[in-house]
Amino acid sequence: MAAITSRLARARVRLARRRTWWLAGLVLVALVYPYVVRPYQLSLAIEVLIFAIFAMSLDILLGYTGLVSFGHAAFFGLGAYLVAYTTLGVTNNLLVTLPVVVAGTALAALVAGFFAIRTSGIYFLMVTLAFAQMLFSIAIRWSSVTGGSDGLSGVARPAIGLGPLSYTFDSRTSFYYLVLAFFIFSWWFLRRVVDSPFGWALRGIRENEQRMLALGYNTFRYKMAAFVIAGVFAGVAGMLLTQFFRHAAPENLYWTTSGQVMIMLIVGGTGTLTGPVLGAAVIRLLPNYLSTYTDRWQTVLGLTFILFVLFAPRGIMGLWERFRQRGENREHSAD
Amino acid sequence: METLIIQLLNGLVFSMLLFTMAAGLSLIFGQMDVINLAHGSFYLLGGYIGLTMVRRLGSFWLALVVAPLVVGALGLALEYFFLRRLYGRHRHLDQVLFTFGLALIAADLIRWNWGAYVESVPPPELLSGQIPVFTVQFPVYRLSLIAVGVTLALGLGLLLERTRIGAIIRAGVADAEMVSALGIDIHKVFAGVFALGVALAALAGVLGAPVLNLYPGLDFEILILTLVVVVVGGLGTLRGAFFGSLLIGMADTFGKAFLPEFALFLIFAVMAVVLLLRPSGLFGLEGT
Amino acid sequence: MGDKKTVRPSGMSRRQFLRTAGIVVGATAAAPLLSACGPLAGGRATGPVKIGLLLPYSDIYAVLGESITAAMEMYFEEVGNEAGGRTIELIKEDTEIKPDVAQQKARKLVEQDEVDLVAGVVSSGVLLALRDYFDANKKLLICANAGANPISRDRKTPYIWRTSFSNWQPNWPVGKWAAENVGKRAFISVPDYAAGENTITSFAHSFVNAGGEIIGVQRTPFPNMGDPAPFMAEIADAEPDLVYAFYSGGAAVTFVKAYADFGLAGNIPLLSSGFMVEEDVLPAQGEAALGVRSGLHWALLLDNPVNQAFTAAYKERTGRDANVFAVQGYDTARVIVEMLNRVEGDTTDVDKMVEVLPDIQFDSPRGPFRFDAKSQNPSQHIYLREVREVDGVLHNVIIEDLGEIADPGDNSKDLEV
Repeated sequence: MAAITSRLARARVRLARRRTWWLAGLVLVALVYPYVVRPYQLSLAIEVLIFAIFAMSLDILLGYTGLVSFGHAAFFGLGAYLVAYTTLGVTNNLLVTLPVVVAGTALAALVAGFFAIRTSGIYFLMVTLAFAQMLFSIAIRWSSVTGGSDGLSGVARPAIGLGPLSYTFDSRTSFYYLVLAFFIFSWWFLRRVVDSPFGWALRGIRENEQRMLALGYNTFRYKMAAFVIAGVFAGVAGMLLTQFFRHAAPENLYWTTSGQVMIMLIVGGTGTLTGPVLGAAVIRLLPNYLSTYTDRWQTVLGLTFILFVLFAPRGIMGLWERFRQRGENREHSAD
Repeated sequence: METLIIQLLNGLVFSMLLFTMAAGLSLIFGQMDVINLAHGSFYLLGGYIGLTMVRRLGSFWLALVVAPLVVGALGLALEYFFLRRLYGRHRHLDQVLFTFGLALIAADLIRWNWGAYVESVPPPELLSGQIPVFTVQFPVYRLSLIAVGVTLALGLGLLLERTRIGAIIRAGVADAEMVSALGIDIHKVFAGVFALGVALAALAGVLGAPVLNLYPGLDFEILILTLVVVVVGGLGTLRGAFFGSLLIGMADTFGKAFLPEFALFLIFAVMAVVLLLRPSGLFGLEGT
Repeated sequence: MGDKKTVRPSGMSRRQFLRTAGIVVGATAAAPLLSACGPLAGGRATGPVKIGLLLPYSDIYAVLGESITAAMEMYFEEVGNEAGGRTIELIKEDTEIKPDVAQQKARKLVEQDEVDLVAGVVSSGVLLALRDYFDANKKLLICANAGANPISRDRKTPYIWRTSFSNWQPNWPVGKWAAENVGKRAFISVPDYAAGENTITSFAHSFVNAGGEIIGVQRTPFPNMGDPAPFMAEIADAEPDLVYAFYSGGAAVTFVKAYADFGLAGNIPLLSSGFMVEEDVLPAQGEAALGVRSGLHWALLLDNPVNQAFTAAYKERTGRDANVFAVQGYDTARVIVEMLNRVEGDTTDVDKMVEVLPDIQFDSPRGPFRFDAKSQNPSQHIYLREVREVDGVLHNVIIEDLGEIADPGDNSKDLEV
């Protein structure tokens, strides 16, 4: 018995050490990445990282709390417009624009969440859709502020400036590092959130809200907090995309954007942080490659989704887990 | 005053058109608890099949029969091969991905087969022309949609409430195991409901074509509209779909007429308000 | 939630991170890794000329993308797929109608495929979203449709030239003509977005200056009009002398058919920007469109030899009648070929290419084609057309040439309503 325990412990240490090496390697690869690929690959990486932040934020709601939002584009688009408007009118200084985006999307999420969280299931899905669609029609109508259907263009890349010191993320490489930093922070922060007691309470709400209520949890507050966190990170993703494309468009608020990020989650695997990142990569890159090779790319994409449903019901992460378990079983039997 | 009455009539027509569109979705959603994002695609497919029938055989009436039959048969096949594996509340997200995949494929194949040009279907000879209503020449076809909507509502109501099949469906929704224990094949019931639901979508596609025409992208327009109607009405009840259609149809018409700045905004605002006051829709059961 | 205690062992989260980081790398490693990161690819002097096409091939604007592509390919074949001593290679990318997708595809064409220039772009939102990228990277974009006024005005860049129109162009001359020939009290109906607003201000400026009065403006939901009935009732209620409208695609068919269904056609004259009754939607509108008068820079039955040859060849190739978008595609291809000939196939210097553009003149299906150097947009004749039955088929028949019109290059000839 003791021998088994110590062997397990040693195996764990060995694994942890191996992971540390992998971690160092991957970070290194991510850091030198801009210097070994062509600019286009770099721009795809930037897009994937931005949409990964967006998808991870939705997963806090959908995967961890069980709140299926079909209006997450509301916060993504709001972040886009807030940064575009602030940059065009005031400054591109991140020390100003980031707080504006965070505060603005948090406030909007508080208001929308206050109403939406009273409903649940499919009704919650539709209330969130309604909120996003209302923002979309405001964006189309209120053209003096939003640029109407044309959107706001000419948005400068962000800078960080304190007094006389200032640095602008003008080049694609520098912007990549900025996005990478935002991505790593988001991943780290959301990881902390879902691993905290708060995160486990969210999972409890997902599994059985009545029981959580009976246990004395104020589930409304928990769901509100999740809604606000998800909204803020979606807003940050929208901000980054706008700074990258130098343009905020009403499409950022449209339901197709909400649908896209939801599909990213389902394809990647909900209830994990890695799944959304994988999903973002697949959904952002697959149509791009497909449409180059075939005119029938929509059919191929649709078939891919159906194959996922049939053979990988928990997304790529589900597939991976199955693969890994099979591998572990083999290891055990080899022992 | 005259304008008001005319707009009321417009609202009624659009409401009934909405009801024909939403009835199938309401059935599948409410009775089977399946989220069908391909509903608009079945609508559009029905419309295009109708278009071909009208072009080839010159009969709108035949189109009204054939399109639902063809699409209904397709529905049976899809249910048997795929959807059957995806029942249950915990599979909702899989249903979303599956039916969204279907919708993508359908949009692509429809464009491949019928092209991307806007197509229109003329109303049947019998129902073309106008009758004067105050200052407006009101199209007869539109008026006839009111009759169609009411008839459909009554027919479906009778089917669900007064027939043995209806009783089995309702019992199946409440307790599938119980129905199976009685020796009834619940799979066949669900397959039938799904086929009926998509056939209704196809029927609406033919009925709606003379008013809204057919073009790529209409599928998702219809999907969003019908989702709003069904959710406002409350899941699981035909009555909900009917009154949801009335509310949304009227809101859309009067919004366009009197608050055009907010026309796009309005149906979503109405939905939001309804769901805030009644979190399960107008006629939905609490806690579902 | 601020609790620092983690429930899971930290090794778990690190593994999660590993996977995550792995994806970041893996996701983009699908393409070959190159050893150096050079500047954005410029044009070359030898080998085939690569032309990137940014067009919608799916969703509601698919017909426009298909028409433009077919006509471009047709012209390139006519010149043997060669210009300036180099063969021509087309690379098509589907932008849908999403600005973010278009941005991604533009980068792919310019940076990965290293195209020499880009052509296409159907919707104004996409054009404005792409503007800064082409401006900053000094890459030439020949726009084959999107009519956003600002691209000829305050958002002008040396690197975007249009072979199509500005939204202002087809509407402005019709305003004056309508006030003089149809009536003085006009009601305007447009979709509630930028092109609709461009239509209103352009038409209103010349209509009001010619003594007309705008008695009502109707802005209908964009992108989807939905049920048009409430708008018809409003128009009937207003009892104007004429209705001026701008719709395209599905909404054009819905609007025109409803206008006839409600008995307005024949009672209140309907005038419009030519896109509303263009050949792509006319078959679906059928008799409902009879009598609609519109202004546009082309008509199927325009009587000139180039047009006759073009429309016949296009019909043979595609089985459908040509439309204005095909004409714009055809002229886009011709402009590209003329430009390549003038720079003798040397696409390394974008400024040299831009320099020769204003000199390009030729006979197009729409009549003489030339750029207005100020607005970087064609200076072209606008024809007043009416939908009539010709040999049993509905077509736009030209009833008057409203003269050669160039975009003013600023907002001086627009009137806010």
